[in-house]
Amino acid sequence: MTGIQLVLLTGVFFISFYLIVRWKKRSLDVVLFSLLILAAVLFILRPNLTQSLANKLGVGRGADLVFYTSILIFWFVIIKLYARMRNMEQKITDLVRKNAIEKAEDHSSS
Amino acid sequence: MKKVFIVIPVFNEEQTILRQVVESLVSMPFTVVVVDDGSYNNVPQALKQLPVRVLTHAVNLGQGAALQTGFAYAVKHNADAVISFDADGQHFAGDIERLLLPIFNNETDVVLGSRFLPGSKEKVPPLKRMVLQIARFVNFVFTGLLLSDAHNGLRSFSRKAIETIVVTENRMAHASEILFEIKKNKLRYKELPVQVHYSSYSSKKGQSVANGVQVLFDLVLHKFFK
Repeated sequence: MTGIQLVLLTGVFFISFYLIVRWKKRSLDVVLFSLLILAAVLFILRPNLTQSLANKLGVGRGADLVFYTSILIFWFVIIKLYARMRNMEQKITDLVRKNAIEKAEDHSSS
Repeated sequence: MKKVFIVIPVFNEEQTILRQVVESLVSMPFTVVVVDDGSYNNVPQALKQLPVRVLTHAVNLGQGAALQTGFAYAVKHNADAVISFDADGQHFAGDIERLLLPIFNNETDVVLGSRFLPGSKEKVPPLKRMVLQIARFVNFVFTGLLLSDAHNGLRSFSRKAIETIVVTENRMAHASEILFEIKKNKLRYKELPVQVHYSSYSSKKGQSVANGVQVLFDLVLHKFFK
């Protein structure tokens, strides 16, 4: 095993550990992330697999294929996070608004 | 007697200027609602002894959110019409009655104040004028409504309009969002000339070109993440 494999596997190990600790019962997420982790481990241990896959897909190098797929995945993650952020902002807004209206003080009477 | 609410979104305004603005409004037979959008200074203190209602956001959310809070409050208190009014001394209280007339005559649901229609005398600084011209066309592209002004804070709304229009853009994109809502809900609207007074203070508080880019960004995202 080379040094980089060790580094990457340690990284994957920590990420999966973190995810497993945080998982509740979201089965689709569990399946998806398990697949991702398995793929990561497989490609780290057998880097030549990315190369042959890349050649089949018409990409020159295996590393490039990994790079392109990562961009796609990051896009997806950013959009998902953004949607969640807006959702959260809306909830905070509703709360703050409700609170402001309830507490409305009439200056003329105070 | 028609119930009219004047909604003033406030964030970190100079206390004396805010007081002057509110004082110019309280003599009229309307309810003045100041929405303090989480200011660092003490807004109720600045408005002491004035007959106004102060609503306070626990955290700063943005002008759009403050406006919507005022609208929700006005709906809850059965307002017949609502005026939105800026806190920085740009607008004139004298314009309000004129903006309310078409609403009371049931000619229209929303009246948008415009500084570029004949009848508005104040000179708009050249850079500001340019930015607003661009903003007009951006609004046109996004909403299909070509107006003579953009982002003018002085407007009047009928009861029906404030019940229908829900502002979800917390920050500055709300001005365009109001136009989306007018279009979507087929509300009647018209523009009337209003005076806009530029002081060094209002220019400082007003929107910069960089803000305009942020608004554009928010607008694009609004289309996708509604």
